[in-house]
Amino acid sequence: MRIRIRPLALAGLAALGACQLDLASEPQTPTVHYALSPRTTEVDAEGEPIVAPATQEHIAGSLAMLFGSPANPRFLRTSEWVDDGFDPNWPTYAVGDDGSGEFDEDELAALQSDNRRDFARELAAIEAGEFERVRIPSWLPDLAGAWSAHLASKPADQRDEEFKTEAARLLVEFYPTLRDSAELYRQQCLHCHGTEGGGDGPTSRFLNPRPRDYRRGIFKFTAQKDKSVPTRADLYTILDEGVTGTAMPSFRRFSKAEIHGLVDYVRLLSMRGMVEHDLVTTVTNDDVLSAETVLESYAGVWEKWNKAPEKWTEVASEVPAPTRESIERGRTLFMDAATGNCFSCHGAEGRGDGASAFTTVPETGEILPAYKDDWGNEIIPRNLRQGIFRGGRRPIDIYYRVKNGINGTPMPAAVSSMTDEDIWALVHYVGALSEQPRTRANRAAAHGANQHGNGQHGDSQSGDSPSGGGSGH
Amino acid sequence: MMRLIAFLLLLAVPVLGVWTFVTAADNNWWFPPAYSTFAPDIDWLFDFIMYMVAFTFVVTEVALAWFVLKYSAKRHDKGVFTHGSHKLEMIWTAIPAVALLVIAFTQMETFANIKFASGFPTQGRFTREKPIAQVWASQFDWRVRYPGDDGVLGTVDDLEAAYEFVVPVNEDVVFELRSRDVIHSWFVPEFRLKQDALPGHTIPVWFNATKEGSYDLVCAELCGWGHYKMSGRVRVVSAQEFEAYQADLKAKWFSNGKE
Repeated sequence: MRIRIRPLALAGLAALGACQLDLASEPQTPTVHYALSPRTTEVDAEGEPIVAPATQEHIAGSLAMLFGSPANPRFLRTSEWVDDGFDPNWPTYAVGDDGSGEFDEDELAALQSDNRRDFARELAAIEAGEFERVRIPSWLPDLAGAWSAHLASKPADQRDEEFKTEAARLLVEFYPTLRDSAELYRQQCLHCHGTEGGGDGPTSRFLNPRPRDYRRGIFKFTAQKDKSVPTRADLYTILDEGVTGTAMPSFRRFSKAEIHGLVDYVRLLSMRGMVEHDLVTTVTNDDVLSAETVLESYAGVWEKWNKAPEKWTEVASEVPAPTRESIERGRTLFMDAATGNCFSCHGAEGRGDGASAFTTVPETGEILPAYKDDWGNEIIPRNLRQGIFRGGRRPIDIYYRVKNGINGTPMPAAVSSMTDEDIWALVHYVGALSEQPRTRANRAAAHGANQHGNGQHGDSQSGDSPSGGGSGH
Repeated sequence: MMRLIAFLLLLAVPVLGVWTFVTAADNNWWFPPAYSTFAPDIDWLFDFIMYMVAFTFVVTEVALAWFVLKYSAKRHDKGVFTHGSHKLEMIWTAIPAVALLVIAFTQMETFANIKFASGFPTQGRFTREKPIAQVWASQFDWRVRYPGDDGVLGTVDDLEAAYEFVVPVNEDVVFELRSRDVIHSWFVPEFRLKQDALPGHTIPVWFNATKEGSYDLVCAELCGWGHYKMSGRVRVVSAQEFEAYQADLKAKWFSNGKE
């Protein structure tokens, strides 16, 4: 008996000792770098890198100079920006400050009231003078730093009202730095979207559809014309609402400031990817990669993002309500090869089974998707009858999709001969297609409608009584 | 010495068990506050079963410790063969059976009130025929679809909101629970209400929240890799605020993209 106990006890002691050792050593933070994209590191048939390794290092170095590292992301401030007083790292400052002035007074006020709600517990602790009860979330390293610096600035017995006010200000006027946002990105987004925003995080392998790759600056669900890069508002909407029917959830549980911060960081990752794309194109065109080329590309990419608001789709009219006429008109356009031509991909019934979106393998008779999206994934048209619209189900969302097409996919913009009225008619028709009255009351109503001789299921969609539609489901 | 340690260790189980039970409320290990009309019933049932179990636990643990002492090797060096006692077995089968029957009949009314069709509210604004909303669970978020102006779900004027489910206070609320993909479970601890969402099923659920506030809505069924982050909120507001919220949602829904 005794002999058996001893090795066990020894093993236990050894385990305890190991824990002690582990606790005693400094926590190690691995250095993370942004990796180059597969396009940059591609090899040819012989296994030789297409871009010479030295040039690859040059590109990586240039990108690190422009965008920093994952632990310390930042935008390089060019000499002109310093002269103009423009700081791309601080989008928060209201017009007139030395930031980029992208938020006006109203938006700043909204952010601050949201912060107040979000930090209510901490603000109450400050008010009560119990500073040690304040807990800064782990994903806000810079705020945590500022907080401990503030605590260290005065010993506990000398803290006065002014100290309290200043402490509360830190939280009320909180806006995440790029470092804070990168930390939040690491915790919440990285496992799908990857360190560089390449849509290649560890979880991405299990997802269909794949997470967005930001590095080309192509975003599908925006209000932008001409395949432009998105505005801040577009990215904010996606983070706030999520993308229905995909693994992208709503992140509304974070504060407005934090979501805005994530938008800033996604912009940085996207710009970094776009500059990398530019530089590789320059190199493969046998042009020299000089400091000027790098800065030129950087300025060019920034210009695209700065000009994004000019490409915003403005809708002059109010959103019209659907009528029997507009839905019928939408149906005509949907089926018209010269204007809408929607049926060719989305199918005559809107089930996403149109003939031109699929090809048949002659040998096997197998039916395969005909198109690929810009990221090389096979893509099929949306089934419009399920009521799941990834870019949103609001009339205005569907309007944007019809009017501008979907960037990165075969879905084209509406032809120029289509008027606003035509597009709204299509929106109404698509809305009617996706009606799903399935509740008991609706079923009863639909049943009643059918009994009155209106037995054709397809016809009832255009009826002005919404409960009459879709009884065929 | 070893025997004493073994005995103390054994004794520690009932002592710690009882101590946990007694001090749970002070240490905030107990349930969160109860904020729905049927929550007190659930809590009463929980306490009822808890005290029953606690009593049995103490009795059996004391008996166990007593047997360990009484029949220790020091006092009895040789075991006695016994084929068991038929009477004793009858007793310890019958008592739990009766206890289970008591539990089953005691909870019946509460369960029926919450889950059976007969328990659903028929008066008021929201009924099974006119639910306040459809709550959609999907990997990995919650979405709420309100019927909009026409009061009928599944039509184009439905309003949709992610993450947050807003309901009026002190009013019977019926909603339909649906799942887009796998089994999820709608759970708000403060309401003591948990209901699985099954793909392909439309499950009516009702509650009546008694206190305004914002409560955690969590998924209580392991639904995939992102289960831990499948969170939402249920915000209980006054009737006026509920109308205002619906109006805001409608304005946002039919906005033309401008502020």
